[in-house]
Amino acid sequence: MLVTDKIIEQQFVRDVAAQPLAVAATGDDTAPACDSLSLESVGCCVCDSDEALPVGVGEDFEYRTSRDTFVAMQCEGCGLVYLNPRPSVDEFSRIYPSNYHAFDFSPERYGFVYKVRRRLEARRALQWCRGLKEGGRIIDIGCGDGFHLGLLRDFGHSSWRAEGVDSDARAVEAASRAGLTAHVGSVERLDLPAASYDLALMIQTIEHVADPPAVLRAVLSLLRPGGKLVIVTDNTDSPDFRLFKGRHWGGYHFPRHWNLFNRRSLRALAGKVGFEVESLSTVVSPVNWVYSVRNLLADMRAPAWLVNQFSLEATASLAAATLFDSLHKLAGRGALLRAVLRRPAA
Amino acid sequence: MRDVMKKPVAVIGGGLAGLTAARYLRQQGVPVQLYEAGKKISGLAQSFHDSDGFTYDFGAHFITNRLAAAIGVGHACRDVRYYGETVRLGGRNFSYPFGLMKVPRLTSSGIRTRAANLIKGERPESAADWFRARYGRALADEVAIPLTEAWSGASASELAPSVGDSIPGSIARTLMLKLASRVTGRAVACGYSREMPESAHVWHVYPNDGVSLLCRKLAESIEDAILLESPVEKIIVESGRAVAVRVHGQEHEVSAVVSTAPCNILAKLTSGTDALEALARFRYRPMVFVNMRFRGRGLLPDVVAWTPEKQFPFFRLTEATLSMPWLAPEGKTLITVDIGCAVGDSVWNMSDEELGELCLGHLSEIVKDARTRYMGCRVLRTPIAYPVFLKEYESDRVRFEHSTGVENLYSVGRNGEFAHIFMEDVYWRTLRKMRGLVGELGLRASSTGT
Repeated sequence: MLVTDKIIEQQFVRDVAAQPLAVAATGDDTAPACDSLSLESVGCCVCDSDEALPVGVGEDFEYRTSRDTFVAMQCEGCGLVYLNPRPSVDEFSRIYPSNYHAFDFSPERYGFVYKVRRRLEARRALQWCRGLKEGGRIIDIGCGDGFHLGLLRDFGHSSWRAEGVDSDARAVEAASRAGLTAHVGSVERLDLPAASYDLALMIQTIEHVADPPAVLRAVLSLLRPGGKLVIVTDNTDSPDFRLFKGRHWGGYHFPRHWNLFNRRSLRALAGKVGFEVESLSTVVSPVNWVYSVRNLLADMRAPAWLVNQFSLEATASLAAATLFDSLHKLAGRGALLRAVLRRPAA
Repeated sequence: MRDVMKKPVAVIGGGLAGLTAARYLRQQGVPVQLYEAGKKISGLAQSFHDSDGFTYDFGAHFITNRLAAAIGVGHACRDVRYYGETVRLGGRNFSYPFGLMKVPRLTSSGIRTRAANLIKGERPESAADWFRARYGRALADEVAIPLTEAWSGASASELAPSVGDSIPGSIARTLMLKLASRVTGRAVACGYSREMPESAHVWHVYPNDGVSLLCRKLAESIEDAILLESPVEKIIVESGRAVAVRVHGQEHEVSAVVSTAPCNILAKLTSGTDALEALARFRYRPMVFVNMRFRGRGLLPDVVAWTPEKQFPFFRLTEATLSMPWLAPEGKTLITVDIGCAVGDSVWNMSDEELGELCLGHLSEIVKDARTRYMGCRVLRTPIAYPVFLKEYESDRVRFEHSTGVENLYSVGRNGEFAHIFMEDVYWRTLRKMRGLVGELGLRASSTGT
């Protein structure tokens, strides 16, 4: 029971549920021959500077969408970890292949894990909604297939109006099929009503977006004065990052996580955009631990049966990593970072 | 401001450093013009292929996976699986560095010296002092000093102690990296990065089409800014600032100059200031690289064999195919022999055949049947292989590390920096300097008040 509770405590969210690879250990010689991605150079989006040190080098260990290799840079100003160079936005359809887990986090595929996660994520989502008035409007930025929207509909107050935004049409289609309201596009460009939402969610979204300040500015304008934004993202002030940052850290999710935060950089971003920081805390998650070990094993060409002991369908490793990360959470260094930001009241 | 920003930055030289600089400046929105004297880009970062299937690099083997990823060519590189060095002493080969520790004479001298240093703690006056204080007299006198002298062409007592800065770090670190290399089956870089930290996750790679791939990739987005066969004849400095460059007899106004030329040449190119005068004395060691082709593989005890003993005319042998089998056809190998020389001396003037014969004569001590395996050689002569840190200009060299003495004149790259650095160092250092240049241009632009 304890283990189950711990699993409930963690965040799987969309980019953790990667399916096991058919061929776990793929090296130079066996990788699919693909053209290289079109890449672009960037700097730190928080400091607008490119004074940074390379902290990690890696490749797409999980989906092998290309043979490209990537450098994770850490900004010397704020500590933001960012991919440079990174794929250009035109490459989204390649780096998010059709079997990408966020498009299909289904009970059929993830069985027990899905059920546990759903029940306990619901509890967490309701915590975020605490104090939300009757008829409150919620927007989930990067809603994927609508997992959290579904929770709010099924477990939240019936008067709440929740909608989602995702730039991937396949994800939005899945959400729509489930009877949820979701818009295809980016929150900066969609014509959504300004100053109308009481709560915005960015649950493991901010690390995927090209321009976090622009997205946060757009969210700020959508929120009513006093409205709240909850961000959950990978934490680079964590022991799993420190241990695996040279190459295998699960949170890199090469090449799909473009900006990775710690408390300092997230606070700096919030300040830059004009949000007030209500709280910054960490959350337990086994996923980066499990995927760091998985990436390490795959990189070392370990046998597939061993590699597959570390996935979102591998309950034992998830449970063990959850317990382990719980200890780090007690020291304020859980694997995920949670920020509650507020649009200043008028 | 607009005038400052309209004038391009002139980049001199289309090798790794020049192209890195030009691409970065372009990315930052700074107009840039790159002048390359030769018919093609790449400079030192070139590979030559012969019709027999051998590949010769211009001494630039040390590309890391981190550099390849940063430039965006990681997908087109192969992992180098192994790298190792030996030192030949008294007819025996000792692996470097741990094999040397098995020699009691060398180890005990090293330990005694370290212990004595704890008490005395004197500052070394020369490279010779530095080596003796660091390694002990035996190891310094038998290995480090003769190698340094052969490589630099100067007496170790005339060289500045800063020569030692280019020697890799602690034994524990080396051990860790060597172990990582063994476990991962990748040639983890050890002692080949000055600028960024080494780790088990940074290893040597080799681009499929040769090292010039790095330059071709860098050049992709700035092709319109590259002028080939356009040697810069003069850099004109007025009131302490570079204001123009002369190319094909024509002067072109510039907002700044980034040079990759050897710094003694840079001193001669620059007019209108005496700030660079000291650089004219800086010396580079000319080198002859004899690329010897043989039948067979694994002729040397390891990839690199150092030969500090005086009887050898060379100080280093490299069988690169042990690291990178693709550099020679199957069943054949390439041994590169490094001979220090002076331009115009007897070694420099030898024909390729004579050089091959000279090397073969001595190589036969190490590779018994070298002569029967020999398939001829190709020779590369360069007047500027390595910077020589002579004590007589050490204070000028240290000053030059920080600035050329002309505010908007930057000197980058291995030759331009006059430093013992490798390709990845060149990349990161050039970016750092260019960041400074962009900042300087921005400041100047805002101070001119438009």
